[in-house]
Amino acid sequence: MTQATPDAIRLDSVSKSFRLDDGNSVTALEGIDLGLREGEFVAVLGPSGCGKSTVLRLIAGLESASTGEVRIEGRAPSQLAAAHRLGVAFQDHALLPWLSVAQNIALPYRVAGTKVDNARVDALIELVGLTGFRDARPSQLSGGMRQRASIARALVLDPDVLLLDEPFGALDAVTRRHMNVELQRIWSTRTLTTLLVTHSVDEAIFLADRIIVMTGRPGRILREVTVPFPRPRDPSVLRTPEFHAMVDELTLALEPEEAAL
Amino acid sequence: MTRLSQFLARNWAVLLLLALWQGWVSLAGLNSIVLPAPWPVLRDVLSHPALYLANAAQTLATAAAGVAIGLALGALVAVAAWASRLLAGMLTPLGLIFSSVPVVALIPILARLLGYDISTVVAIVAVSAFFPTFVFVGAGLKDLPRGADDLFGVLGASRAARLRHLVLPATVPNLMIALRITVPEGVLAAILAEFLMGRSGLGFMFREAASRFAMERALGTSLVVTVAAVLCFSLAHRAERVVRTRWS
Ligand SMILES: Nc1ncnc2c1ncn2[C@@H]1O[C@H](COP(=O)(O)OP(=O)(O)OP(=O)(O)O)[C@@H](O)[C@H]1O
Ligand SMILES: [Mg+2]
Repeated sequence: MTQATPDAIRLDSVSKSFRLDDGNSVTALEGIDLGLREGEFVAVLGPSGCGKSTVLRLIAGLESASTGEVRIEGRAPSQLAAAHRLGVAFQDHALLPWLSVAQNIALPYRVAGTKVDNARVDALIELVGLTGFRDARPSQLSGGMRQRASIARALVLDPDVLLLDEPFGALDAVTRRHMNVELQRIWSTRTLTTLLVTHSVDEAIFLADRIIVMTGRPGRILREVTVPFPRPRDPSVLRTPEFHAMVDELTLALEPEEAAL
Repeated sequence: MTRLSQFLARNWAVLLLLALWQGWVSLAGLNSIVLPAPWPVLRDVLSHPALYLANAAQTLATAAAGVAIGLALGALVAVAAWASRLLAGMLTPLGLIFSSVPVVALIPILARLLGYDISTVVAIVAVSAFFPTFVFVGAGLKDLPRGADDLFGVLGASRAARLRHLVLPATVPNLMIALRITVPEGVLAAILAEFLMGRSGLGFMFREAASRFAMERALGTSLVVTVAAVLCFSLAHRAERVVRTRWS
């Protein structure tokens, strides 16, 4: 890796506080410095409520930083969205209930005003394992199936930046592993700067180049770990002692109170 | 046997009403000018099918035209209010006030303004459908599925794309609620307007018959009106249910 390439995504001493209805405010993030190189895959781990989704929403341009600055390719995040180059899979899938699976996945084309590439939509449906459900509506799917549809939708426009907020949270271990392998395959074929929020240490290590561990109240970055495993990563990596050692190390980092005992 | 008991179970209230009606007329020995018995009323309807059908068709067509115009305009103005904050500030309070004014109060005013003919009846129905539609569709435009706003944000949606792909489809169930409310109301408004100022239709037919004490004809008209209103209501209700399940 060359240090000369500037970061594709940069957060510079970003803090974020929310004003609550009772007039008080809560500090969700404080002093966040984070850079993602172009094409880098970064996973974010941390306890519930520590501000992971908030980081993702700042990068997506859905929230603005209270202090500090968020930049994508040196510009405001909203410009990337306006160019239809951003793919996001939200924590709560956000599928439109009146559209079928295929129509939901094709929605980004319609919103961008370009022709729907049906072959690509079908390929993505197959990729996320929803063949046979292309005409089903979201209410007829399970939670995990909805998440997979929303991942397909995030990928359909072939974005340059991909943001995934616990996209596999509702999946069983086998489907999750399968999706991990598929995601890695897509990711290896092209340059795609990715931020993945997850609760699974295994998943983070298997997929990411670098892992950010956060702590809560207020949300800060506790540590950053570079994942040493070479790519492409075969699922057999998951069984190596190095992998297990890294899982243990990160799991411990996520439980600082118990580590101190 | 089960057919009969099913029929009784579903329609016992109507049958009871008919029995009470018949009983009251025979026991009190009422003159048919005061209140005719059920059977002569039904016989009048059955022996003049063309007359009743023609007038019912006229009333329903008037109501349908008025409801269609009212729904279209109500939805259009609601979208205009969505698109412009200035318009919203003007229209929303107006819509809320007018949607609570009863149609009866508007009929004389509109008749005076537009003249005493069929287009005025259509206009009255349209007005009665306009305000509920405006209010419901306006509410539907703001009632978006969870997360949809964020989704359209990250998709870089223009305001036009947001309207077309999110806001308009999201309001369809509310448009159907407006339909369910305005269809029976529109039928009643059409009949009322015909009664007060019309030259044809069921409302006029009732007034005309009552004025010459043809009570079988008058009550026959009421019967047809009731059946038509119930039919319209259940059709609109069913349409709303179908769309709602499709939309959730
Ligand atoms: N819109 C908001 N208004 C007020 N407070 C908010 C808002 N969004 C987030 N917060 C607060 O910010 C903090 C971080 O929330 P965030 O959703 O980023 O957590 P998270 O790390 O994604 O949690 P989880 O793993 O449970 O999804 C929480 O304390 C939350 O209450
Ligand atoms: Mg979250």
